[in-house]
Amino acid sequence: MTVIKHHAYLFDATRCIDCRACMVACSVENNIDMDKTRIWVAGLGVTGEYPELQRGTMVYHCMHCDHPDCMSACPVGAYTKAEDGPVTYNPDLCIGCRYCMNACPFGVPHFDYDKGIIEGAFIDKCTFCPQRIYNGQEPACVETCPTDALEYGDREELIAKAHARIAEHPTRYIDHVYGEFENGGTSYLILSHVPFSELGLPNLPETPVNEVSEKVMEMTIPFALGWGAVLTAVTTGVALYDNKKKAASKEKAETTK
Amino acid sequence: MKLNLTVQPRFRLNFSPLVWVLLTLMGIAFVVAMMRYAFGIGVISDLSYSYPWGFWISFDLFTGVAISSGGFLMAGTVYILRIKEFEPLLRPSVLTAFLGYIMVAIALLVDLGQPLRIWYMMIHWNHTSVLLEIGICVMSYLTVLAIEFAPVVLERFPKVHKVAHLIHKFIMPFVIFGVVLSTLHQSSLGSLLLIQPSKLHPLWWTPILPIMFFASAISIGLAMIILESSLSSRYFQRGLETHLLAKLAKAIPVALVIYGLLKFGELAVAGDFGYLFTSGTMSILFWAEILIGVITPIIWLSIKKNRESANGLLTGAIIVLGGMILNRFNVSWFAVKHPDPLFYMPTFMSNVKYFPTLPEVAVSLGIFAAGILAFGLAAKYLPVFEAEHEAEEVHQSLHGLQPIRASADD
Ligand code: SF4
Ligand code: SF4
Repeated sequence: MTVIKHHAYLFDATRCIDCRACMVACSVENNIDMDKTRIWVAGLGVTGEYPELQRGTMVYHCMHCDHPDCMSACPVGAYTKAEDGPVTYNPDLCIGCRYCMNACPFGVPHFDYDKGIIEGAFIDKCTFCPQRIYNGQEPACVETCPTDALEYGDREELIAKAHARIAEHPTRYIDHVYGEFENGGTSYLILSHVPFSELGLPNLPETPVNEVSEKVMEMTIPFALGWGAVLTAVTTGVALYDNKKKAASKEKAETTK
Repeated sequence: MKLNLTVQPRFRLNFSPLVWVLLTLMGIAFVVAMMRYAFGIGVISDLSYSYPWGFWISFDLFTGVAISSGGFLMAGTVYILRIKEFEPLLRPSVLTAFLGYIMVAIALLVDLGQPLRIWYMMIHWNHTSVLLEIGICVMSYLTVLAIEFAPVVLERFPKVHKVAHLIHKFIMPFVIFGVVLSTLHQSSLGSLLLIQPSKLHPLWWTPILPIMFFASAISIGLAMIILESSLSSRYFQRGLETHLLAKLAKAIPVALVIYGLLKFGELAVAGDFGYLFTSGTMSILFWAEILIGVITPIIWLSIKKNRESANGLLTGAIIVLGGMILNRFNVSWFAVKHPDPLFYMPTFMSNVKYFPTLPEVAVSLGIFAAGILAFGLAAKYLPVFEAEHEAEEVHQSLHGLQPIRASADD
């Protein structure tokens, strides 16, 4: 295998046969309960009009965004984005505020609603199988997929591959690789035969959704200092004016006495 | 200095029915909270993977912080602008704010997954996180409020009067710090939702959410001062500062007009006018909020007669609060849309509808009841309302230049 500069997945919705082997593989590999799976396969039912009927399935897990909103939102910095792709979560820092779940436009992070404070309730999400990819293996879901609906590789190469596949079968695919630019680019790329909104994917701009809030946060400290200075000036000004007035009225009172 | 006896036992700690109701609510909340700590949040709430935030955040955090904004408004008016006639309103509003923020903190301890780690916010900083800013501001502001309120407690004890004196002498930096902190986190509650442009309805999502939140916090704070003065005057049979409240009530329409202009101006600039009538429930919620929280109070409080009667003031304050609290619920809950369950990823295995459960509401009610009880006790045993006549000499403000209170010598 070639050296991977930026780890990524490519999912081809036309190839998925809804066998759900990836869900099992993920649960086994990461030792998590099936009902708390980090990867979901959603059957979308039959779409289109007779005779052009389509049936679709969509496989979802963390998109490993290039500008992760979960990471931008987390107050204590429990998320890290590796240079080469994976976005990972550190339970040792998490305070359980669930802001990351609100922030992620894909609704990926999960929370242990069934755990008390003794066991500790944490977030869970796809880790990109670091124990595998850094040892030259594919992530568990990819390795298991029998139809190659899920593929793994370098992001640039996968994007090229996806576009080549669209060019090869222009009638089969929608001419767009979801994740190439969405939310500032993600490491989970999707090819589809039905509109992406039908796969349940949000319609996101190319700028990451955390852009505005990060800009506002940058302005906070300068604003606080400026506002503090203004208030101090006002306080002093009012106090001086007040004292002057008071002295004047006292003088007046004395002279009229 | 002698003990201020006028404050004390005008009403005895008899367990009136109201006190029993409050205590019961607190007890229920306590039991429910214990269940949550033992078995997890899912046991008592309807929160899910797709609805990580619900009633607690909308009510306890968003509403709780908003209705506590009277504290910094009055502190700013009395200490910074030195408009001394508002002095009688200062202590009650600082007390409301102090209790309000304590309630927010308690509610967060129930809502957080790892409540014992709440202090991690003080040492692990992710500087891009709005929630971090809110956490730090709320913690610091609680400290400031404690300092601002401390003299009220200390005045009750003749031995430590010196400390009260000292605090008064150096109060100004804290007041300024408090106003800055309040400005920051009142507005950054709005910034909290900036990260959800794809989830929050465009009638509410705007890059100027922080400014909108600050603008509305001002009318909420003013209305809250009117409400709390009116209610406590009724309950404790004390006089009502109608002339002062009328002045506050006069400021509310101004603040609301600015808010309304900002709101519609922003919608016009963003080209979102189309949603005003076409978004079904969202349009209705939007108009309900605008009609109740902005238009009606502007009209009601512009009428002089309403501003000058106790009932008119109370009604006006309740209308403002109703509309603005609806705004907080809209922004943080009703208008946050989670994609269609069938097509949406994690949700096909969780419940995508959210409706607060009884235990969830019971927690909030219990905390609220505790707040009311604490307010009552403080009003009863501390010189909160009747401090005007005493202790003038300790009120040296700003470099000890002069007494801040409107004292007998001027
Ligand atoms: S998909 Fe969600 S959880 Fe995954 S990196 Fe992006 S924002 Fe974070
Ligand atoms: S729940 Fe944990 S990981 Fe998520 S934002 Fe809060 S502290 Fe960070």
